[in-house]
Amino acid sequence: MTIPQKTSILILDDEPIVSKRLKPSLDKNGYEVEAFVRSIDAMSRIRERDFDIIITDLKMEGINGMEFLTEAKRRSPSTEVIVITGFATMETAKQSFSKGVFDFLAKPFKLGEILEVIRKAETKRREKMAAA
Amino acid sequence: MVSISKAYLPYPLMRDLPAATGQGNRPVADRPPVKDRSLRTMKNILTWANRTFHPEPKAAQRVPFATLFGRFQNILTLNNRSLELIAEANDKLGGHYVFDQQYIRSFCQELRELVDQLIYNLEGLAPQKYSGLFKVFREISYDIEEEMASRLVISGADFVMPYERISREHISVVGGKNARLAEMKNVLGLRVPAGFAITARSFQSFMEFNELWPKVQAITGEWHLNSLTGEQASAKIMALISAAVVPLDVKKAVQTALAQLHQLTGNKTLHLAVRSSAWGEDSELSFAGQYKSMLNVAEENLFHCYKEVIASAFSPAAMEYRRQNGFGDQEMAMSVACQAMIDARLSGVIYTISPTSPRQDDLMISAAWGLGEPVVSGEISADQYTVSRKKPHKISAVSLVRKEKQLIPQPEGGTMMQAVEDSRKSNASLTNDQISQLATTALEIEQFFRSHMDIEFSIDRQGELVILQARPLNLAAQNSQQLCDIAAIVRKYPVLMKDKGVIAQKGIGAGKIFVVNNSADLNYFPSGAILVARYASPLYAKVMSKARGIITDVGSATCHMATIAREFRVPTIVNTGNATEVFTTGQDVTIDAEENIVYGGTIDELCFYGLTTERIEETYEYRLLRRVLKKIEPLFLVDPTEENFTPEGCRSFHDIIRFVHEKAVEELINLHYTQQHDPLALSGKLRWDLPLDMILIDIGGGIIPAETGGVMDIGIERITSIPMRAFVHGLSSPGAWNNEPLSVDMASFMSSLTKTVPTELASPKYMGQNLAVISKEYANISLRLGYHFSIIDAYVSDNQNDSYIYFRFAGGVSDLTRRSRRARFLEKILTENDFMVEVHNDLVIARIKQLPTRDIEAKINFLGLLVGFTRQLDILLISDQHINQFVSGFEMLVKKNTTE
Repeated sequence: MTIPQKTSILILDDEPIVSKRLKPSLDKNGYEVEAFVRSIDAMSRIRERDFDIIITDLKMEGINGMEFLTEAKRRSPSTEVIVITGFATMETAKQSFSKGVFDFLAKPFKLGEILEVIRKAETKRREKMAAA
Repeated sequence: MVSISKAYLPYPLMRDLPAATGQGNRPVADRPPVKDRSLRTMKNILTWANRTFHPEPKAAQRVPFATLFGRFQNILTLNNRSLELIAEANDKLGGHYVFDQQYIRSFCQELRELVDQLIYNLEGLAPQKYSGLFKVFREISYDIEEEMASRLVISGADFVMPYERISREHISVVGGKNARLAEMKNVLGLRVPAGFAITARSFQSFMEFNELWPKVQAITGEWHLNSLTGEQASAKIMALISAAVVPLDVKKAVQTALAQLHQLTGNKTLHLAVRSSAWGEDSELSFAGQYKSMLNVAEENLFHCYKEVIASAFSPAAMEYRRQNGFGDQEMAMSVACQAMIDARLSGVIYTISPTSPRQDDLMISAAWGLGEPVVSGEISADQYTVSRKKPHKISAVSLVRKEKQLIPQPEGGTMMQAVEDSRKSNASLTNDQISQLATTALEIEQFFRSHMDIEFSIDRQGELVILQARPLNLAAQNSQQLCDIAAIVRKYPVLMKDKGVIAQKGIGAGKIFVVNNSADLNYFPSGAILVARYASPLYAKVMSKARGIITDVGSATCHMATIAREFRVPTIVNTGNATEVFTTGQDVTIDAEENIVYGGTIDELCFYGLTTERIEETYEYRLLRRVLKKIEPLFLVDPTEENFTPEGCRSFHDIIRFVHEKAVEELINLHYTQQHDPLALSGKLRWDLPLDMILIDIGGGIIPAETGGVMDIGIERITSIPMRAFVHGLSSPGAWNNEPLSVDMASFMSSLTKTVPTELASPKYMGQNLAVISKEYANISLRLGYHFSIIDAYVSDNQNDSYIYFRFAGGVSDLTRRSRRARFLEKILTENDFMVEVHNDLVIARIKQLPTRDIEAKINFLGLLVGFTRQLDILLISDQHINQFVSGFEMLVKKNTTE
């Protein structure tokens, strides 16, 4: 029996509390998690390796979330991106979806909600993989 | 006249208000007009409003009722939204949410705007009568802004606080070092040095008194522009501090504390340890070790040393750290610890986990003769002991060194290095008993702070253990590799209980189950056990420091025991229903009160994991939200008949919100009932049997006018308002107000309850005037049930798409636990009756819409019944089981009333 590969997740949010809160919970739910507060660090990380799922904020100093997720999708189209933002407007939502974002969560959200979205993203990846 | 028409739309209460996220910052009163469809269907009311008020000549000098009622409705809408917003923010502290500082900022911003609008609208109802509110509002807003800007609001804090008075909540004023020492002393009963904190307020006072901030800013600015090096800037600031004087009131406070310390220690001459205890010094901000500590300071040198310690906040390293991490100099709050010196025979450091091999279940102790400073700094070599974390704490490795030197206090003050006598140089510094005591105490401290700890200790000449300092050992970052795959590990253990009950205190703990059946059992409670009991009782405080976890069948997160569990940070799950059946004494379990799971067996890895992740409720954001809510949420103005029920008496936003609502109702009644302000808006007092004063104001076809013009007394039969008639019918149904004869089973049910009705319910104190503004199709009812008015806003229409009922219930006269029980009762009943229900603590909001007139009538009738039944429930809902009992009781009542 082969041990199923863990789903890898990258979290990027410039407020440390978000990763601090998410990482332990995702760890315990069996994900392999890397967390970043500076978009420039996250950017260099995705140039080194691909992630199955990326969770990112939009409004950040330096490279903003939209630029980051665009680059992430360009490098690895199979990566599913979940956007978390406190400034949820129709406009940003539309723009995110046009970039191929999987889902959009307005902060604050419940831990259960994001876990649910992650599971859906996993399902979608599996289906895409099966179809390929 | 657009303003009139808009004012009459009952829609503000029904419109879907924006969610609590950042986007809802529009001023509510200036909302754009409602959608076309609703406008068309509101025609009746509009026509009435125009016909009634437009041609009225007197309207020039009198504000028409339509306008006033519009303002009143605005107040209700704003009031609803504010209470909802506060309740939502409170929910965020519950631990299920991920929120950030941005959320706290937008929450405060939105709430400020709402409260501002509330005051403005009340001003419109009663010009200049309550102008004091503006000032109170500005003051509270200012405090909140200061909190948000991370400037500590410490104006209320003392200059000096003795350890006896310090608790966890004072951490920002006294710093982590002082706060933790005080907690270990006051809660755990451990011995720590006698002493006091010179608080952050003293520091601020010092900086301001000497006008140092502008100078510091100028120097820092030069450094940022590279015209000064870090060393030069630091030296300049330190020189300024050294030349400055300690303000007199700070000096006085310190001298008083010193006098008390003399008394406490019984020493004629005092020598002190003066240590930094800055806010955020350790934990995530890792300022640790950057600030100065001074030992064996003679009393007369205290102020000199105080200045040296606070000057160390401007060491080149500390300044660089702040620049790198984006902290302003003014955000720093330097508190100082002043402690009576311990006459140490030996001192040392304990790490409750080995930093190099954390997976080994060991703790590390190092110790050497004399004072501890050179052990901490690594200046002298010390004996090393590796000790098992498991009882009986077997020593697995010892490395004894030759201890050539020791640091000792000098009689005149200060310290010196001295050669150790030859006979002791090679002796082990600790005995086996001492090692065992150190291990036990260290693990107790670890358990209490729920984190691996770095602990400094001394053993004095009498052989007594004294804890000098304890701070979290932050291993998570460097050891994340070793911590992985916790999910795979826990999967191997059986899940005994999952997602049952409510988490009252988060955390992870393992131990043997001990089921407590009665208070005598508590005497046998073993250290390190998991307490399982039927009820959540405050009696368990007695064993709290020994418990690794608590699980109860019954209880709530707001109950008394939960508060104590939080004080001791014991992982606690309450209200599981059947923990006492699932678990038996002696069983090994691991309780994960983060994910709400109890596993069979001891999962060391999970406990380890729990100790290496930061306590989320102690992060900056949680503390910030709690602090901000302290200015917002408490309700001090409880009783409108009390003298302090004035604008000046308001101390929180909640007070203002409550005050404005109360006065809005009062003003509307004054203007249109007492003074008959507008002859075209009929008004009068409802004549009925209930002990409830109800003023009716008719804005169109809601009341049959009396033939002789006298409308002061209105019998039920004269109400033609469809929703009002239904409500009155429900409220006066037999059994609803509990003053009618009841059928046998109902009677026995009710009598079991009425026995406990306290007299305060009957007191007219809570029975002020109630108000209903009605038309043929519309009713807006403000009912006094508890501290807050309950609101029913309902509209019936031939076009059923426009019909709706809005119901809000909040507040009560009892404690929060009972009030939230009542909220749960209401939630159950309302949900079962097709309402859409939202509950936050004790705030219940229910909506229903788009029903045919007959059904809307039935629902309003039902609400009348429910409101009558519920008004006293917070007092009667003594325990959680009562909720279901009352639900079935109420269902019986409904059945009885609908079949008759």
